[in-house]
Amino acid sequence: MNYLFSPDNWQWLWTDNNAGFLLEAFLINIEIAIVSMVLALIVALALALLSLSRATPVRLVAKGWVDVFRNLPLIFLILYLALSLPEWLREGWADNAPAFLPDALRGELVLAGIIGLVLYNSAVMAEIMRAGILSLDRGQREAASALGMTYRDQMRFVILPQGLRRMVPATVSQLITLNKDTTLVSIITIQEVVRTGRGLTQTAGNPFVGGGDIQAPILQVMIFVGLLFVVTNYALSRLSRRLEVRESRRAAGEGRVAVTGVEDLAVPATGGPSRS
Amino acid sequence: MLDVLTENFDAFASGLWVTFRLVLASFLIALVLGTVVAALRVAPSRALQRLGAIYVEVFRNLPLLVLLFISFAGLRRAGIGIGPWVAGIASLGIYTSAYVAESLRSGVFAVSRGQREAGLSLGFTQLQTLRHIVLPQAFRTVIPPLGSITIAMIKNSAIVGASLLALPDLLKQARIVNSNTFQTTESFFWAAVGYMLLTVTVTVLFRSLESRYAVKR
Repeated sequence: MNYLFSPDNWQWLWTDNNAGFLLEAFLINIEIAIVSMVLALIVALALALLSLSRATPVRLVAKGWVDVFRNLPLIFLILYLALSLPEWLREGWADNAPAFLPDALRGELVLAGIIGLVLYNSAVMAEIMRAGILSLDRGQREAASALGMTYRDQMRFVILPQGLRRMVPATVSQLITLNKDTTLVSIITIQEVVRTGRGLTQTAGNPFVGGGDIQAPILQVMIFVGLLFVVTNYALSRLSRRLEVRESRRAAGEGRVAVTGVEDLAVPATGGPSRS
Repeated sequence: MLDVLTENFDAFASGLWVTFRLVLASFLIALVLGTVVAALRVAPSRALQRLGAIYVEVFRNLPLLVLLFISFAGLRRAGIGIGPWVAGIASLGIYTSAYVAESLRSGVFAVSRGQREAGLSLGFTQLQTLRHIVLPQAFRTVIPPLGSITIAMIKNSAIVGASLLALPDLLKQARIVNSNTFQTTESFFWAAVGYMLLTVTVTVLFRSLESRYAVKR
């Protein structure tokens, strides 16, 4: 305890702008998370639609794809891509990455990290979307089809708007997992917050990693990094819970009395897969 | 394709065995800790409930990789040196226990109030009611979520092997085979088969548990 709270061991935090340096690196994690989530949602929608397709071979292939990438460890995918992504792609990105991106996102291996995150998360989100769509009352589709809508119109105007709304809370909680998973790209040497934190502990006085004269102790650095995640993700989980409550109220109809203080008891409208 | 497996069979097998032991040991820790934390979360005391909630929020929102750095390199610097195995099992176990606690808590809420009240009115203490009446039923309702948590755990165990602990797990062995043979796709393919073997086994196991013990309400 003495070691943990001793001011000497926290001094690194307010010298040489180390705290700002870590916050800046944490921003890289957030950026990776947002970019990956947006791309994953697009791919997931395609996968979900394919896995609900009426053509059996298409459905089987889509389901198989989703099952494979959902069940492989994410770090496994990232490491594999880092080793096997073709050189023209890696170098092409490093040479042509838009200049407004931070340095950390213009390296050769960034694509391996992002593609890995997108492959994994799109499979997870596709499964959540499929569950959301299947949880809709049969009558919705039957009514749409009785109105003479084509399959495409049924999906576009009746099924998807309702099904996708149901998965908003699940998307936010998946974003928490994704946010944590962005630390994995530190293993393929991308300079995000964990790697930057390690840099602070290894190099005293190295101007390239922003290290000051004080060598930061790794325990305190990682506790600080962990706190950044806990605070951000806690805020996200509050948001997701609030959305769940709103969704289940909507599902229950207007007549239900809103009881405050029992948010924790609300059951998500989709009985979908677990968050992890 | 097949020769990469046959020539490096020992490496893959030992990697699978390491991953299996890592997951099993961490699962037991997660189950015990998760039950204790879930009990705190439903305890008849505000302070205990809050304590449980803080535990869950901290360990569910912290990246496993950061937890591994804290428990291995961090504690070592602080003078508490623990080995990579202990650090890996403890980190994965603690990380997962937050998820176990959350699903158990929702399982407790699924057990009807009357059960708890009946227990109390029969003269059981709070703790006895929880232990003999509520928890056994709660465990039954959370078998399916526990299954998905276990599968998530198998996947997360790869982070332990890829981190600074460098335990020779399945992923690590695949990387070693890859650097020996330069056959990246083949080495990773067989490791993937190993992971699928584990997840499929766990799925089948939990399905049979579910059909045996599920409570019909």
